[in-house]
Amino acid sequence: MEQKSLIKKITGSREALLFCILIALGVVVTILNPTFFSPTNIAQIFRNNAIIMIMAVGMFCVMLTAGIDISITSTLAFSGMSIGMLQKHDIVQSTLLMFLIAMGIGCIAGFLNGLIISKGKVAPIICTMGFMYIWRGMAYVVGNSSWASGEDVSQFAKFGKDGTAGPYIILIVVYGLFFVLMKWTKFGRKIYAVGSNAEAARVSGINVDNVLISAYTIMGLMAGLAGALSVSIYASAQPNMQYGKEMDVIAACVIGGVSMSGGRGTIVGTFLGALILAIVAKALPLVNVPSIAQNTVKGVIILVVVIVNVVSQRMIDKQNLERREM
Amino acid sequence: MAGKSGRSIKAEQEVSFKKLILSWEGALFILIILLNIFNASISPSYTVTNILREMPKYLAEILMMFPMAYILVLGDIDISVGSIVCLCATMTCFISNAGAPAIVTYIGCLAVGLICGMVNGAVATRFPELPSMIITLGTQIIYRGIAEISLGSGGSVSFNDTKKIMPLSKKIGPVPVVLFVVIIAAVIFTVVLAKCTFGRELYAIGSNKLSAFYAGVEVQKCRFIAYSLLGLMAGACGLFLTAYMYGANTTTGQGFEMEVIAMCVFGGIATTGGKGNLIGAIIAGAIIVLLRIALGQINLNSQLILVIIGAMLIIAVLIPGIQANLKARRKLKQAR
Amino acid sequence: MSDSEYILELKDITKIFPGVKALNRVQFQLKRGEIHALMGENGAGKSTFIKVITGVHAAEEGHMYLEGEEVHFKGPKDASKAGIAAVYQHPTTYPTLSVAENIFMGHEIIKNGMIQWKEMNRQADELLSKLHANFKSTDEMGALSVAQQQMTEIAKALSTNAKIVILDEPTASLTANESEELYRIVEKLRDDGVSVIFISHRFEDMYRLASRVTVFRDSQYIGTYDVDKITNADLIKAMVGREITDMFPKPDVKIGEEIFKIEGLSRTGFFKNVSLSVHAGEIVGMTGLVGAGRTEVMEAVCGITKPDEGKVFLNGKQLKIKKPSDAMKEGIILLPENRSTQGLILTWGLGRNVTLPIQKKLAKGFFNDIKKENELARDFLEEVDKGAVSIFDPASSLSGGNQQKVVVAKALAQDNMKVIILDEPTKGVDVGAKAEIYAIMGELAKKGYAIIMISSEMPEILGMSDTIYVMCNGRITGCLNREEASQEHILSLSMEHSDKKKEAAQ
Repeated sequence: MEQKSLIKKITGSREALLFCILIALGVVVTILNPTFFSPTNIAQIFRNNAIIMIMAVGMFCVMLTAGIDISITSTLAFSGMSIGMLQKHDIVQSTLLMFLIAMGIGCIAGFLNGLIISKGKVAPIICTMGFMYIWRGMAYVVGNSSWASGEDVSQFAKFGKDGTAGPYIILIVVYGLFFVLMKWTKFGRKIYAVGSNAEAARVSGINVDNVLISAYTIMGLMAGLAGALSVSIYASAQPNMQYGKEMDVIAACVIGGVSMSGGRGTIVGTFLGALILAIVAKALPLVNVPSIAQNTVKGVIILVVVIVNVVSQRMIDKQNLERREM
Repeated sequence: MAGKSGRSIKAEQEVSFKKLILSWEGALFILIILLNIFNASISPSYTVTNILREMPKYLAEILMMFPMAYILVLGDIDISVGSIVCLCATMTCFISNAGAPAIVTYIGCLAVGLICGMVNGAVATRFPELPSMIITLGTQIIYRGIAEISLGSGGSVSFNDTKKIMPLSKKIGPVPVVLFVVIIAAVIFTVVLAKCTFGRELYAIGSNKLSAFYAGVEVQKCRFIAYSLLGLMAGACGLFLTAYMYGANTTTGQGFEMEVIAMCVFGGIATTGGKGNLIGAIIAGAIIVLLRIALGQINLNSQLILVIIGAMLIIAVLIPGIQANLKARRKLKQAR
Repeated sequence: MSDSEYILELKDITKIFPGVKALNRVQFQLKRGEIHALMGENGAGKSTFIKVITGVHAAEEGHMYLEGEEVHFKGPKDASKAGIAAVYQHPTTYPTLSVAENIFMGHEIIKNGMIQWKEMNRQADELLSKLHANFKSTDEMGALSVAQQQMTEIAKALSTNAKIVILDEPTASLTANESEELYRIVEKLRDDGVSVIFISHRFEDMYRLASRVTVFRDSQYIGTYDVDKITNADLIKAMVGREITDMFPKPDVKIGEEIFKIEGLSRTGFFKNVSLSVHAGEIVGMTGLVGAGRTEVMEAVCGITKPDEGKVFLNGKQLKIKKPSDAMKEGIILLPENRSTQGLILTWGLGRNVTLPIQKKLAKGFFNDIKKENELARDFLEEVDKGAVSIFDPASSLSGGNQQKVVVAKALAQDNMKVIILDEPTKGVDVGAKAEIYAIMGELAKKGYAIIMISSEMPEILGMSDTIYVMCNGRITGCLNREEASQEHILSLSMEHSDKKKEAAQ
């Protein structure tokens, strides 16, 4: 039998490859600017990107089913604005209740997406585009052309204030929970199965519609959670918050090796993908690249990663062909 | 007439009025008439003159709808157009401010758009394995990123000499120039899609890429042309936008890609490819523009319009499924 | 347990789809431990019937008895709990998941709510070694060959301890060797006391395996026969409803000059040093095992893929073909193997399909000439098809055989055609339509075209070809003329190379 070399193992596993890139990135940046590798900096990276990272978990579930959800930041804005307004008008002040309300709103939004996509046979991008407009509009409507300032949400903002453990705990819990859920439980594997071959899943007795609805509901739940967290971390609720950031979330998943055609990807990869984007954003100013170039670099990374993937797959195919004896 | 088998196969298409009305385009046409009646009843200032005056700010986007329809018919998608508009608008200002004459400014803007579109097309055709969504997600971020870098920390730029750009926001009689351009583009793009061999090839690719390739259709060439056209029209959109805004900033054109795609889908073009036509999309575009004008006139919270457009979109895409469901049920009953 | 003779019995099953009766009061009886063949033309209702048994479809009327007791399956899960497992025509696998996960999907090994991966992999490997599989439980499903995927599906059936295993056209995409392996596995299943329902188009399969055969036709039950008591002709009559006298109407055509020649064509990993020549009016058969490189050679000739080296000549002139349209311009027309994904655009009308390759030729400038297109499409469809009603009917509404005729019309419409290449022209086509396609090929030969037919079916290769090229492992291993060709000879040539290699290895 052929022996698998270490290099092959690394290139064979997306997560290992991403991890190596991550290490290399960290080393290079630290050499260029030793201040990078400090506990405060690392903590900052996680805190600033907690929202993207949490939504990436939901996007991962949705993309596994070969779907996509571009309504998430609108859901985030709507749920965030809703709890912001509840605080502004002093209706609710309990932090836990805030989180539950935001997550509840997210769940409903996600459930609606899932319902229309599965039962109505609507293309995911179109359905979620519709809700992208609806929830963003609703975020403005609930605010009635106003927004919640730091003063309005001061109590709630304590949870996500710089230096508190709240956001980190949420990150760890979410990723831990989904790592187990997606790899070790029947529920998680059903999501994989539906994304890999929905027809086969139907024939083998999996209720595909229910799986789709649950995936989008998870996405909505994460968007709602991210909405509450966003209000807490940034100590304000504005109707245009996180506008356009859904693309960053998708980008994190894509870099993490989640396939847009479904059935392929892992929670670890998603995490590493989000982390790489986060580190690049943090590192650029430290290595004297103006932060204004951040987006360009991000876009180039996305393209390079996906193209390198295709090219390496082509090379593997070609090598396999050359090995065939005739 | 009859062939060897002594029996003839039908080769004439029947045109029935009922079918025409029941088609998606027919339904949209009825909807737009109802909409005008509704608009006129809620807004006293809903007159032709007022509509023509308020229209231009919504029209530039429509220019991108035509080639976007091509891309969707191909089964592809391009979410980078909003960023191309931003980059083109930015470059227009820079070219103009550098002292170039008007015509060079115009051509420069269109060229930037065309190049962006060609880059999209080149990557998409060179790596057909990649979903177009991912490619244009990457270029979306890059194009706006380049605009951000060139705009610098201020994040915006305006014309030193607005005279050069003035002709674009002028009117010929009561009709704005941009409307003329939109109408010309609408006619050309619609005829090419419906009546020309290139249009047929687009449908073939969108319906079944592999079969089209085996039948001799040059799939990648067609895709490249469609992406390039979209880039060019995004350039045109950027040009007209600067003419009305007298400048550009980092958020110019943000979200346009989704608005344009929404118009196409509302017009009956499926994102899965091979379905729909531009007549539907044009009526749909008109519906959205007129609705915005009317709701703007009665001072409705401008953000509520988003909710209405979103809801319309979802209802529109749900209808075909419901129709098919009812049809299947009826047939099942008949079979019993 | 009941003592009923039949492990499975279905009575008066009726299944209605929107607009059609897919099954009309059919019946079926399966004895304990037998291999029972289910045959019929395409569209006879076999696959629907299987899906009724496995609970995928619910029948509108009828009764189903398992071990003498009436059962009602609400879904596939119920059927699999009752010990019924099915291996479908197109392997219904999860390409991005591991083999073990494919095997245990739906009945994972779970402890404390957690999936036990190690235990699952171990059991999967055990099952695979029982089947003499040459792959591991951790391999990714999508990387396996069709035969290996089918084996995984069978392993899946075994893992559920199924009492009844249904195989829906399992040999359709297998090579002769792989089929043999499958026969062995199926026989082993039977010896272990499993009852097997076997659907196939190949008479070979039925004779080799089944003890009884049930025939369906036009959604109706025709009869059940003992395999050793029914003649081939009677069986065909039961399936088709009429007798077919001349299956291979090979006309006696005087073979003309050499028209088409390939010299030393190679493509890394697919084929090497392939040379052949075709004359006017000649039908050249290309055979060999699936995967021997036959299709790949012809795709390279037609510009679908690029060969690494080699020359292609038409009428003595060397051609430069870079893309499919180049080949078409020269008059080399390929009828691809897979009608629904390569040959036709199923959502389009027949007319549009026929004229797609020539629309630019017919066009006035940039504009389509719809009138001319429609007339032309009608003429060519009338020439080949006796079933079509209107050129606007979508191709998806036709049966496999009629779709193939539309593909033929599409080729004929290209008036500069000189060489026609048919890749598996009768694959998945029922017996009646097969004969019609052979007749069309005969007509074409009479008109003096050069014809290349790629086929895995021995009878049609022997029945239709003037010259037979046999390919094995990417090389041409033999060229036989009509007189010297025999089934044994071809088989030995198509496996020659691999045998040699095995010897060398030993």
